[in-house]
Amino acid sequence: MANGSSLFAQNIKTSDKKGGRVEKEEEITKALTFAIGEQVYGVEIPYVLEILGVPKITRVPCAEVPYFIKGIINVRSKVVPVVNMRSCFGKEEIEYNEKTCTIIVALKDITVGLIVDEVLEVLSVMQKNIAKTPDLNNVNENKFIEYILEMQDGIKLILDIKKIIFDHDLMLSLA
Amino acid sequence: MSKIESGMESMIDMYIFETNTLLEQLDEILLKTEEAQTFTEEDINEIFRIMHTVKGSSAMMGFDELQYLAHKGEELFFIIREKPDGLEDVSFIYDLVFRMSDLFKAEVELIQGEEEYEATDFSDVIKDLEKGAAMLTDGAHPSPTSEVGTYADVEKEKAVACSGEGVMTVRIFFQEGCKMENLRSFMLLNKIREEADVKSFHPADLEGDPNASDVIIEEGFTVTFKSEHDDNDSVLKLIENAINVESYEVMDSGGSEKSSAAPSADDNVPVPAAPEPAAPVIENVPVPAPVIAKAPAPEPAPAPVTPTANTNQAAQLNSGKQSIISVNLAKLDQLHDIVGEIITTESMVISNPELEGLKLESFLKSARELKKLTDELQDTVMSIRMVPLAGPFQKMNRIVRDMRMKLGKDAELKIEGENTEVDKTIVDSLNDPLMHLVRNCMDHGIENSVEERVEKGKPAKATVTLNAVSSSGEVIITVSDDGKGIDCEKVLRKASSNGLLMKPESEYTEREIQQMILLPGFSTNDVVTEFSGRGVGMDVVRDNIEKCGGTLTVESKQGFGTTFIIKIPLTLAIIQGMEVKVDDTVFAIPISTIRQSFKVRNDEIIQDTQRGEMIMIRGECYPIMRLHEKFAIPSEITDFEDGILLLVETDGKSVCLFADRLIGEQQVVVKPFPQYLSRYNIKGAGLSGCTIMGDGSISLIIDVANLIEAY
Repeated sequence: MANGSSLFAQNIKTSDKKGGRVEKEEEITKALTFAIGEQVYGVEIPYVLEILGVPKITRVPCAEVPYFIKGIINVRSKVVPVVNMRSCFGKEEIEYNEKTCTIIVALKDITVGLIVDEVLEVLSVMQKNIAKTPDLNNVNENKFIEYILEMQDGIKLILDIKKIIFDHDLMLSLA
Repeated sequence: MSKIESGMESMIDMYIFETNTLLEQLDEILLKTEEAQTFTEEDINEIFRIMHTVKGSSAMMGFDELQYLAHKGEELFFIIREKPDGLEDVSFIYDLVFRMSDLFKAEVELIQGEEEYEATDFSDVIKDLEKGAAMLTDGAHPSPTSEVGTYADVEKEKAVACSGEGVMTVRIFFQEGCKMENLRSFMLLNKIREEADVKSFHPADLEGDPNASDVIIEEGFTVTFKSEHDDNDSVLKLIENAINVESYEVMDSGGSEKSSAAPSADDNVPVPAAPEPAAPVIENVPVPAPVIAKAPAPEPAPAPVTPTANTNQAAQLNSGKQSIISVNLAKLDQLHDIVGEIITTESMVISNPELEGLKLESFLKSARELKKLTDELQDTVMSIRMVPLAGPFQKMNRIVRDMRMKLGKDAELKIEGENTEVDKTIVDSLNDPLMHLVRNCMDHGIENSVEERVEKGKPAKATVTLNAVSSSGEVIITVSDDGKGIDCEKVLRKASSNGLLMKPESEYTEREIQQMILLPGFSTNDVVTEFSGRGVGMDVVRDNIEKCGGTLTVESKQGFGTTFIIKIPLTLAIIQGMEVKVDDTVFAIPISTIRQSFKVRNDEIIQDTQRGEMIMIRGECYPIMRLHEKFAIPSEITDFEDGILLLVETDGKSVCLFADRLIGEQQVVVKPFPQYLSRYNIKGAGLSGCTIMGDGSISLIIDVANLIEAY
């Protein structure tokens, strides 16, 4: 727990100020963005509970538990499973470093920690920035994408938390 | 009041809770009377009271359809009460009332549900209820059609019956803005009724009239009553102390000045030509027995025993109300979690590594004190959550009754040990499995014909037994029947045709074959019946029981009956555990399973070519299971002389576990694995849960039984 101190304050520059009041009317929601390799992903803020470093992970020694579930961690006396987003998207795992973060997300009663390379920022999701999802089903991680944001500084893929939490088979199929 | 207003949500909770409790009471009484085949006066009164309360509270909550349904039920029992001797064939009443109570429960569930509530149409059952009522009256008095009419009649009657002696009229004003004045009046009225005989009140229709609240705000709530013991002061005191009552004034303590109010309010309602004289008064009184004779003449004419009995009952009810409160389960869960965390934090503080080597006499003394208190706290919280199994057991009476009717099998339910207490969450998750098992016993277990039973020398009436006993941290619930038992050959044939066999038929033992009926997709009944036979039942039952940490097994003797054995932990929460380390992973092994722990020399190990490594302890040979191999943990300690062996035993089976080293004994708060992982068979791998240790890291709790099973 001690090494899981919140990195929220240090790592995240909010992009609120850039938005200004006029555009605020269009804001649908906010999203927390993070990087896996070169690609920027995001999760909608309402799903995010908190951001931790990489706490001590206890592996669940059961042959049935798939490789992308790294184990369980203690988040303030709650036992939470953690998923490595790299292996989840079929990418090679890298060693955890000081930028590696665990984003704790929750949907209904289910709480999951997502291990990502780096947490970037919180940005406003505007209707005008949402691009229509192109038919990119040959790209593996695209199956987890709810919608795509086209921002000035590049494309951000907003993840569908429901799929990450419930669709283990989809995850396995990406292996 | 036609829609659910936002301010009424908490009231709806209360309504649902109360109505469900009442409906369960109703079922219980019905089952009891059905067995006895007669209605005692007490039973009828009780049913009547239930119907009336349900009706009243439904009306208050604005559930008009439910109110009407309850009203029809009330009417039926009203007729029954009028002619208790004229009941020759009452069996149809039970079906009718059971059906009504089922509809009610379903509707209450709908209200409880998250979706927008839409009233269901009950016209079918209402028609049947009316028919039933008509049958009872032999067509002589067709059931009254206007329910508003009957209610108004009551007031009329009362106003007329109102005599001068000792009668008092009081006008009550509620505090401004306290809301739902009609409801408050109704509750106050009920309280007054416990003390006194209410003659009339205005506005008369508190339940149905949407304007009642406004009338009360403007004119006050007027009630005319006569105290049972000529002690009107006690009633006044009651009014004075009632919640939200701003002021009251005694308008008349002798005459009946206000008695004209009630009729005037009902002017628009046609007065039936000949209302039965005593009847309507009864309808309004919660504890009706003593009032029957009192209504026409204020002097208590009937045998003096009846009123005393009833006051006693009322007193009991009252004391029951005061000593029990209902708490939202979520709050209890929260409390339970917090206590669990306090215990973890406590050991974090007391066994803090920074304290090592320090001499801390007073600290340790205080720590012991704290430990004592937290233990007590934990026990108390635990006991709050413990509820007797009587609830789910009693519900089975109903299942057996219904099945008996539908299947035409004569069977009775025997309940033993219903006072055994288990955790509330477990009780809730036991309802469905128990229902399935009892149905299974009735449908598959018991012979189809009485002749078959008599031939085998069994009593014609079959018995289904529910039993619960608690033994060392577990509760064992058995559901057994004295039916035909499991036909092993038939099971084997079925299993083979369903492709469930894993090895040659001849290699299966009788016990193994019996357990097959718990497999998914297995059903020996050739015909799918309403109750069972879709082949999804038994494995769902097993899954449900395993979800709350229990096990389900079946024992059967062909020709003598079948027994299902459910073993569930008394509580899921806390166990005494021995923590052992394998490389970096910490496991907790329940102390209750550990027989001994010991060091060995390598030359004591026996290498068995078939069963691997074994060790001889006191003349017994035990297999050794290396935990690091079993859980695929890369450990540097692989030599037996460097690590430690633990002999564990459960259900008479033993194995030696090899670990790196012992850490120590600790009370651990068992947490289930996160729901996210529930699809994976972690339990099958020999782990039952996890726990958070003093330093905040997580250890895994070993499930010895499953570990041995998997070995």
